[in-house]
Amino acid sequence: MQNITIYIDDKKLEVESGKTILEVCRNNNIEILTMCHLEGVLDVGACRLCLVEIEGVNKLLSACTTKVAANMVIRTSTERIKRYQRITTELLFAERNHMCSVCVANGKCELQNLGYKVEMDSIRYPRLFPQCEVDTSHSWYVLDHNRCIMCTRCVRVCSEVEGAFNWSVKNRGYQVRIISDFNTPWGESTTCTSCGKCLHACPTGALWPKAIVQGQLDKKPEIIEELMAKRKMGL
Amino acid sequence: MNRNDLKVISEKAKEKHKKYKHKICVCCGAGCISSGSEGVLLKLQKEIVERGLQNEVEVIPTGCMGPCNQGPLVKYLPENTIYQKVDCENISQIVQSQIVEKKPIEDLLLFSDFHPKPFINAHDDPFFKKQLKIALKDCGDINPEEVEDYLAYDGYLALGKVLFQMSPEDVIAEIKHSRLRGRGGAGFPTGLKWETVYKYVSEEKYVICNGDEGDPGAFMDRSVLEGNPHRVIEGMAIAGYAVGANKGFAYIRGEYPLAIKRFEQAIKQAKKNGLLGNKILGSEFSFDIEVRIGAGAFVCGEETALIASIEGKRGTPKPRPPFPAESGLRGKPTLINNVETFASIVPILNNGGEWYSEIGTPKSAGTKVFALAGKINYSGLIEVPMGTSLREIVFELGGGIQGGGEFKAAQTGGPSGGCIPAKHLDVKMDYESLMSLGSIMGSGGLIVMDEKSDMVDVARYFMEFCMDESCGKCVPCRVGTKMMHDLLQKIYDGKGTSIDLERLEELAIYVKETSLCGLGASAPNPLQSTLRHFREEYESKIEQDID
Amino acid sequence: MSTEIVSSEKEIQNTDPRIKLIAAKMKKENYKADALIEILHTAQNAYGYLPMNILKFITKELKLPPSRVYSTVSFYHFFSLKSKGEHTCLVCTGTACYVKGALGLLDEIEHKFSLKPGQVSADNKLGVQVARCIGACGLAPAVVLDDEVHGKLTNEMITDSINAKIK
Ligand SMILES: Cc1cc2nc3c(=O)[nH]c(=O)nc-3n(C[C@H](O)[C@H](O)[C@H](O)COP(=O)(O)O)c2cc1C
Ligand code: SF4
Ligand code: SF4
Ligand code: FES
Ligand code: FES
Repeated sequence: MQNITIYIDDKKLEVESGKTILEVCRNNNIEILTMCHLEGVLDVGACRLCLVEIEGVNKLLSACTTKVAANMVIRTSTERIKRYQRITTELLFAERNHMCSVCVANGKCELQNLGYKVEMDSIRYPRLFPQCEVDTSHSWYVLDHNRCIMCTRCVRVCSEVEGAFNWSVKNRGYQVRIISDFNTPWGESTTCTSCGKCLHACPTGALWPKAIVQGQLDKKPEIIEELMAKRKMGL
Repeated sequence: MNRNDLKVISEKAKEKHKKYKHKICVCCGAGCISSGSEGVLLKLQKEIVERGLQNEVEVIPTGCMGPCNQGPLVKYLPENTIYQKVDCENISQIVQSQIVEKKPIEDLLLFSDFHPKPFINAHDDPFFKKQLKIALKDCGDINPEEVEDYLAYDGYLALGKVLFQMSPEDVIAEIKHSRLRGRGGAGFPTGLKWETVYKYVSEEKYVICNGDEGDPGAFMDRSVLEGNPHRVIEGMAIAGYAVGANKGFAYIRGEYPLAIKRFEQAIKQAKKNGLLGNKILGSEFSFDIEVRIGAGAFVCGEETALIASIEGKRGTPKPRPPFPAESGLRGKPTLINNVETFASIVPILNNGGEWYSEIGTPKSAGTKVFALAGKINYSGLIEVPMGTSLREIVFELGGGIQGGGEFKAAQTGGPSGGCIPAKHLDVKMDYESLMSLGSIMGSGGLIVMDEKSDMVDVARYFMEFCMDESCGKCVPCRVGTKMMHDLLQKIYDGKGTSIDLERLEELAIYVKETSLCGLGASAPNPLQSTLRHFREEYESKIEQDID
Repeated sequence: MSTEIVSSEKEIQNTDPRIKLIAAKMKKENYKADALIEILHTAQNAYGYLPMNILKFITKELKLPPSRVYSTVSFYHFFSLKSKGEHTCLVCTGTACYVKGALGLLDEIEHKFSLKPGQVSADNKLGVQVARCIGACGLAPAVVLDDEVHGKLTNEMITDSINAKIK
């Protein structure tokens, strides 16, 4: 791969072409907030937290899906970007029912962590309080739609890594929900292999194993990347 | 058929028409059909035979003639006399008076319910006089179900010329020279788009015609597809030749069964006559078109969502770049243009890019089709040069406000557009001028509102639309449109506060700048434009809540 | 569960000629996943909605994951998992019709037939739906009764037209 010069937050960098802005930033210790991004699966650009400003481009572009180009001038933490990251976070909290104090993921949740990072002290928008189901039909696992942020990391892990295609998304707009098979209970799935990868991929307390005590959830999203790396090496 | 046969057939078809002394067109566009024009057509055909006039009078069904509100319409040529609201009872009178006695029937003339003295030649009426039909040319004069009719109007001659006398580069240069901009909404220069797709090297490329037309209030593309499908097919084939694609898809809205039927029929006829398929007109170029039917999702008009839908999936957009020109359908370079854009290609190649570029305004060349609806006297379809003022459109072509009310605003661009208030009635209808007023040209829907319209309700209505149509993939649009809708509803219900209004304005900017695709990015437009021009209506609804 | 699919499928194949239509369409499209929406259109047209056993049949024939089919069906408004009624009255609430009183028509329908948009009468005779613009703006307010467009409707006309259908 050819090397190119780019500028991120006034820092001059020599980087490999063909990489995404997000990869380059992570390799150079420049923080980019993400939620739908998961190492090991394809990016979809859905959460819009990783937006960056690029000189000469009149739109904000998602760092996870945009490739670097020679002489690109990128800004990752302008006031505007920070403001928007905060609004996105507030909207995620307001969309469903996130009661951290009673959540299995309390203390281990990427959404909670995001709240701290953007210094969210309150949610200025009305909470939507949607009616959400909790699917406990699977023998070992639970899907709690109240905590789901529709990042679709579980969907992508299940299809791209496990190849099972148990998960997908139903409906559209604010009525989207994660579904198993024909919108049928997870426990009745004909495709789920019970591999448990989606639990690790899930950033919140939406997917968790029944065999845990509150606050002791241990998620390892990095296993997905390790698995894919091994697979690439033919292991 | 090869190229020489084409000329022969075209001449023959012309001869065939010449043998008739009179021609009567019955509008069979979707509008007139729903007011009963098919019955009128049958009755007329019967009447002509019964009177033994079938060798003198040609009777044909046509596509939309324009003034849909006045249908069923019957046009008598060569005098260009149009009769309105014709029902089966009028037929014998029309034949007797118009054909036998050669006297027009005053009471039935187009717009006779508005004018004391309606025009015998309809083209003298401002509704037609101010129009310049390029994309819609022949629509309303030819039978969309007969390829011979299209050939008689010099159909497919442009394709013949392109295949045998021009290189792909020549075609692209001609389109660039015309300064044609995409009619699907954004106004991207068409020639530049074609060139981009042309330059990507790939074994496989695709041409897609975007006929999703999801804006409520728009029916231009429908009329073109119904009224002159071969024009679009010819345009697509020319595009295929220019960019190096052999396969095309026409994605047509599922709500348009007649357009689908006529377009599919036209494809069949074109194939049968060697105008599509292998080695078109005996050249080395092959091109085929398949129809894909939309399934009721506005977002599928967005190009990456449209591609996902053609691939049989949920119509969710993808981040661009990469643009479809580089990686589109099945990951191959793909050209996507709007129906009206394709319909403008043939006249440009027949008359030259120079000719087209001189019509309209310096930055927006050519003509634009608008669908007039709402509180306007003559609802229907018009085509005018870019730069025609809104006032001319509403008060001259459109015959003014229905019920004698007062013009309050015109909404253009549907849920992605904005409102133009009375004080800007003199705005020139072109891409830049509309943008500067906070609206957009969009696809051409133009809805007129009178003083009874509540602008907060208008904003709420469009936000509800975007909320329902959001694909739900990205956070700003999925949650943001719902929040904005709820806040608007609250204000509309008289329960809003000034803080709500502040939140609303902040969210509008946020959703606009952060959404993944154009649906979210333009969803705040109706809200922002009504706030800009009618802020007092919002404030009057929240006043009582300020303590 | 899989045995249940097979048996219900046999049943439909034996008794229902519409299934042949769908099977033929799938064959014509070479069982390609690409054509899922086209095939769903065929099924929706044949049945007026997408019965669950038909969805399962299509899923199996195209060798698709169930979630892939369900997610697609639920995305598009054209597809419905419930019967829409023998006769359908689709009221356009697009901008032009809205401006010209589509809501009045809906009120009238609710008043006369006790049906709200999305509902089907108890005897399955009539279903009421709304659409965002059917492209007949020049004729606002417009409705589609079964497959015919009726334009410039008044409250009285709509009741009469519906009654003529369901009689
Ligand atoms: C939400 C959304 C809906 C759209 N709907 C349509 C449509 O119905 N018809 C259309 O031609 N373009 C539509 N567009 C624009 C297309 O994405 C695309 O720009 C256009 O088809 C390109 O053709 P043109 O260059 O000829 O205008 C839509 C865009 C968005 C974001
Ligand atoms: S369940 Fe978890 S991983 Fe899946 S979409 Fe919801 S939040 Fe994301
Ligand atoms: S902006 Fe709206 S429609 Fe577009 S991708 Fe985001 S959620 Fe989907
Ligand atoms: S991480 Fe890039 S959009 Fe979510
Ligand atoms: S449909 Fe007849 S004039 Fe438009």
